[in-house]
Amino acid sequence: MAGSAGRATALQWRRFRFPQSLIGHGAWIAVLAFLAFSVDHLEIPLERIPDMLGRMWQVLASRYYPPDLAYILDRDYLDYVVETIQMAYLGALFGLLLSVLLGWFGSFNMTPSRRFVYPVARLFTMGFRAVHEMIWAILFVSILGFGMLPGVLALTFFCAGFAGKLFAEEIEAIDMGPVEAMRAAGANLFQTVVFGVFPQVRVAFTGISIYTWDVAFRAATVVGFVGAGGMGWYLKRAVLQIETERVAAIILSIVALVIVSEIVSAYARDRVMRMK
Amino acid sequence: MSTFRQAAATADVAWRSRAADQVLDSRRRRRYRVSTFVMVLVVLVVWSVQVTIIDDTDWERMGSLQSVLAAAGEFLAVDWALFPSLAGPAVETLMIACLGTLLGVVICVPAAWFGALNITPYKPVTYPLARLMMTLSRSIHEIVWALFFVAVVGLGPLAGIFAIAVRSVGFIAKMSAEAIEDIDHGPVEAIRAVGGNGFQVMLYAILPQVLPQVLGVIIFEWEINIRRSAILGLVGAGGLGLVFFRQLNTFNFAGVTAVIIAILALILLGEVLSYFARKAVI
Repeated sequence: MAGSAGRATALQWRRFRFPQSLIGHGAWIAVLAFLAFSVDHLEIPLERIPDMLGRMWQVLASRYYPPDLAYILDRDYLDYVVETIQMAYLGALFGLLLSVLLGWFGSFNMTPSRRFVYPVARLFTMGFRAVHEMIWAILFVSILGFGMLPGVLALTFFCAGFAGKLFAEEIEAIDMGPVEAMRAAGANLFQTVVFGVFPQVRVAFTGISIYTWDVAFRAATVVGFVGAGGMGWYLKRAVLQIETERVAAIILSIVALVIVSEIVSAYARDRVMRMK
Repeated sequence: MSTFRQAAATADVAWRSRAADQVLDSRRRRRYRVSTFVMVLVVLVVWSVQVTIIDDTDWERMGSLQSVLAAAGEFLAVDWALFPSLAGPAVETLMIACLGTLLGVVICVPAAWFGALNITPYKPVTYPLARLMMTLSRSIHEIVWALFFVAVVGLGPLAGIFAIAVRSVGFIAKMSAEAIEDIDHGPVEAIRAVGGNGFQVMLYAILPQVLPQVLGVIIFEWEINIRRSAILGLVGAGGLGLVFFRQLNTFNFAGVTAVIIAILALILLGEVLSYFARKAVI
């Protein structure tokens, strides 16, 4: 009797057996230890954080309020807003044109050559994605000088990486039946893509394109910070002059514009999806 | 087109001819709509190119194509001697990303709780509040957030951590709230039936259901946060971005390339780690 009772307790069910449980707990402990070490290494004054949060409201109330609304309703500033929108529009457009190619060449099922073109396209997509849009902007500004052209190019690269990956994933998910039918009927590579692939991904591509424009606009509001044109330049100037009330007004205008563009893009994507 | 109409006419059925007219009309209207749309797009492109590229560029400063290529060529060299001194800032960047993600996750808990329609405590107030938090967090660029926090807490990694935390709240909270809205209500009712309070319902019925999905989202955001923390040095938050800016300001273009390579290596490391972490979670 005693033996069977002992066995019943010994037969406790566990989700993970010995080696996995050790690895699992070890990984958690390692992550926590790393986080604790980082707090120490970065010399973060933990005891001052509550104080800082209190000060945050004070700073907001005393320096950033009230926002200088007259400044952002100025004619010059509104011109810059329009230019920012144009920059985002062009950057997204060029980026999307590039990313259609990247998506085609970088999709495993439709790429012209799996050996050579596929890895190159994947590498370019990854490279465009991995480098932050601000770094692209800085690089183009130092090569081409100040102005909106570097901003357009930075957004082009950013959008090409962003949309290229999504396009490639979309193409990889298509039904291969029509493509094989086209091939069997003797269509060449170009015809297969135009008549076999494109009709299947048209709606998804439109949705992704609208979303890309939205993301590009969000990036366009700040690339000017490094001299690439648009509203970011105003922001930088106000920051350097420590005109905090103007900074507050500019940030407010950015938030308002981004929210508007988000609503517009959500509405447009919804329309496109329903047309399907 | 006309054969279609003739056929309808010879059939001599009034409604059939009317139907044909309707089809043709709708086709014509559709063609007008599409061509107007394309025309508007093209006009916008021309106008934008005129304003942003042709008028605004300082062509004289840029010079010939050769001088542009020469300027770009300066970035092709790599200052290999810089790499040993990049290890410290790279680790710092990684730490800022990790701590920022952690703090973001902490802020996310109330945001996801308030923002999920099925468990939000008081719908008319808490739901819009959470949605506002998410939209604000996502719509403001990390550079702007960092500027704000540098003004509040001073230069240094803490400003970067706050900026990244606040910036990542939007995405994580949105995805988590959507995951919570999709849960199976059986376990929730079971915990309620045995007398569990609200906290216990959350801990034992909701959290286990959404945890794998939420962890996946957190890992994804962490990967993006490495990318973000690498540039926050531009506004004084330390890490690789600071070295990047310093190299650029001293016109050491080979050093700039070296920093970019270090950033890419760090991102690659993050991608490998997140691959294993995601495999362990799912």
